[in-house]
Amino acid sequence: MTDDKQAPASGSILVVGGGISGLTTALEAAEVGYEVFLVEKNPYLGGRVAQLKQYFPKLCPPTCGLEINFRRIKDNPRIKVLTMADVEKVSGGPGNYKVEIKVNPRYVNENCTLCGECAKACKMEVSNDFNFGMDRIKGAYLPHEMAFPARYVISPQIIGAEDAQRAKDACKYDAVDLDMTAKTLNLDVGAVVWATGWQPYDANRIDNLGYGRYPNIITNMMMERLSAPNGPTKGLIQRPSDDKAPESVAFVQCAGSRDENHLPYCSYICCMASLKQATYVREQFPDAKIYIYYIDIRTPGQRYEKFYQDIKADENIFLIKGKVAEVAEDPDTKNITVVAENAVTGEKTRQTVDMVVLATGMQPTAATTKLPADLTFNADGFIVNDFEKGGMFAAGCANKPADVMSSNQNATGMALKAIQTLVRR
Amino acid sequence: MTDKYLVEPDIGFLNEVVGLGGDTLKKCYQCATCSVACPISPDNKPFPRKEMIAAGWGLKDRLVSNADVWLCHNCGDCTTMCPRDAKPGDVMAAIRAYAITEYAQPKSIARAVNDPKKLPILLAIPALIFIVVGLITGLLDFTPGGGEIVHGKFFSTWLVDLVMIPASIWMVAIFALGLKRFIGDIHQNALATGKTDKEKIEPAEFIKALVRVIPRILKHSKFSECGENEERATSHMMVLFGFIGLFIVTGIFFVVLYIFGIHGPYSQLNPVKWLANIAGVSLVIGSALMIKNRLAKTDQVSTYKDWSLIGLALALGLTGMLTEMTRLGGAAGLSYTIYFIHLIFVFALFAYLPFSKLAHLVYRTVAMAYAEYSGRKF
Repeated sequence: MTDDKQAPASGSILVVGGGISGLTTALEAAEVGYEVFLVEKNPYLGGRVAQLKQYFPKLCPPTCGLEINFRRIKDNPRIKVLTMADVEKVSGGPGNYKVEIKVNPRYVNENCTLCGECAKACKMEVSNDFNFGMDRIKGAYLPHEMAFPARYVISPQIIGAEDAQRAKDACKYDAVDLDMTAKTLNLDVGAVVWATGWQPYDANRIDNLGYGRYPNIITNMMMERLSAPNGPTKGLIQRPSDDKAPESVAFVQCAGSRDENHLPYCSYICCMASLKQATYVREQFPDAKIYIYYIDIRTPGQRYEKFYQDIKADENIFLIKGKVAEVAEDPDTKNITVVAENAVTGEKTRQTVDMVVLATGMQPTAATTKLPADLTFNADGFIVNDFEKGGMFAAGCANKPADVMSSNQNATGMALKAIQTLVRR
Repeated sequence: MTDKYLVEPDIGFLNEVVGLGGDTLKKCYQCATCSVACPISPDNKPFPRKEMIAAGWGLKDRLVSNADVWLCHNCGDCTTMCPRDAKPGDVMAAIRAYAITEYAQPKSIARAVNDPKKLPILLAIPALIFIVVGLITGLLDFTPGGGEIVHGKFFSTWLVDLVMIPASIWMVAIFALGLKRFIGDIHQNALATGKTDKEKIEPAEFIKALVRVIPRILKHSKFSECGENEERATSHMMVLFGFIGLFIVTGIFFVVLYIFGIHGPYSQLNPVKWLANIAGVSLVIGSALMIKNRLAKTDQVSTYKDWSLIGLALALGLTGMLTEMTRLGGAAGLSYTIYFIHLIFVFALFAYLPFSKLAHLVYRTVAMAYAEYSGRKF
């Protein structure tokens, strides 16, 4: 960057959320000369994208897009990253916000070399949230291989237990600091971009689809972790009940989306996600049969439509127009039978498969966690952008359900909106 | 796709279905959850998803002649599960109401029966017939006198039957004409949509199917399969058995009167009288429960067609029981008045039955027998 040509920075920008939208907003603003605070609640950046096996449009593994962004952050002194941090309070107005941020203790400082001795020393295991609880990890852990900041974390669950001391004793670099406490930071910023993202809709709430009752019914995000090389099975797709390689998989579209009893809106990504996951299964098990039950297949744009056409041409993939409304498990084989009416033929179909993937939708984080700022939300919890008022903006899936590509476009736009707020001050 | 199909929507039909309680039909986006949610829907060509799109497109001919709308017992399982907050159960009920008026001729009466504004006229007709025929024949005596209250002295049994027998013949005739078309239509529809492989209706086989279906109807086995409102089966059973009981009682006393020449009132110790009382009470309690259930159920649409029928059942039961009670209590004037009102409702039951929601008794039974006959897989 040519520093002499950049816009005069006045004030700084707070970006809440370190997923793909937050990263983009932060980088776009910082690379044109603005000071940015990037706040992330997890111990790592990358958000939902980091959990995928591949992502659209080019079916890259997440390393591909995230790595370059992490590199840009590392090289840019204007971005200050705060992980394990929560925004507690935002007051003031456009151009002049006062922000209170709570930074939770990581118990590991910058001396960490990723040697992993602390994890080896730990005896207790905790549920691995990164893999949706499908495996367990040590109380001292690295969230995933590509975690940025590349530093271990000590789970608060082992603090006070012997394991914490074991981890500390095992560290040759004096990186484990059990005396760390939560700190509160006060920042003055000119604009705030909320890139608080989404969470998978809680499939336990969809009574008729059997998630939580039958082990071989999983969600689409679990499928991503199952297929990802850094997942609980090192990328081998196997069904949870007996680790068997699935010979048949059913995908249930609109599981909780476009449903007045759950999420009334279309979550936008699930059709493409299931079509993509069909390719994961097909690549690993060339003889596996795939059944995709849908209301409408939504593949926006020419590229996605092309992808759909290719999937449709696959003779082992069957697309059935009709929503699955009933599931049953065979108690002996743990196979799942899905029931739907094929609306094209007008026949009720019962298909028994090894494994079922529920294409659960996106729920904005703000639907379940109240954001501590004067924002406008719609009935579903998405932040409504008020460009008249300005100052605070929502980017990516905090604003509407979107794929990575549109999130990035949107995030770039919101970086500009934030900059405009500062310049007009 | 080379198949061409020109949709010719019947807007009038569409609007009527909306008016009859099917106002949510346009919300449907054809996900077919309802067809799976329905516990009594068959596997081949299940309902109500296909009915929802046909209704949305205003395809009257595909619906009125469709036996499947009668297989639905409006339990509401589909409505509860519907992701669009549409109410397929109520749309099916609306289509049934429309179908009744299609098969019951003359249409002008069907329209009047389903119009609340015409209710006073419909009730005035029997009152007028009773008075005119009664006065001409002298079978109506406004000063019956005597110590004992005998309804036959005020309103001669001859007069009752002079009016009611033609009314029942009228009912049977209208049903017969309607059913003739109905059976032909539902068979054509089943053939056209691939619901049956039977080319013709064999009367003997059809009757056998009917015989197999009737115990199921009496037991309400289909009705009870619906999860959402099991309690509705109880009240419905009470009303149905109330009517059946009273029908049997009427038949027995008809024989007793005309063959054995024994006039009422009959002793309370008579077992037939017990049946009458039990059936009457069952009718009153059953219909009162129906009202209670409908008022409590906010996610189900209740329209005039529903209220008028339950109201009639309750009125029949109440006036019947009150006639008896006031007679036993010795309130002559009151008892005769209530008896007169009771007979008005009895007439309404017979004469307007083929045009009202109560016609489901006939159409649903026939449709269920047809489904059994044609081999629908449930």
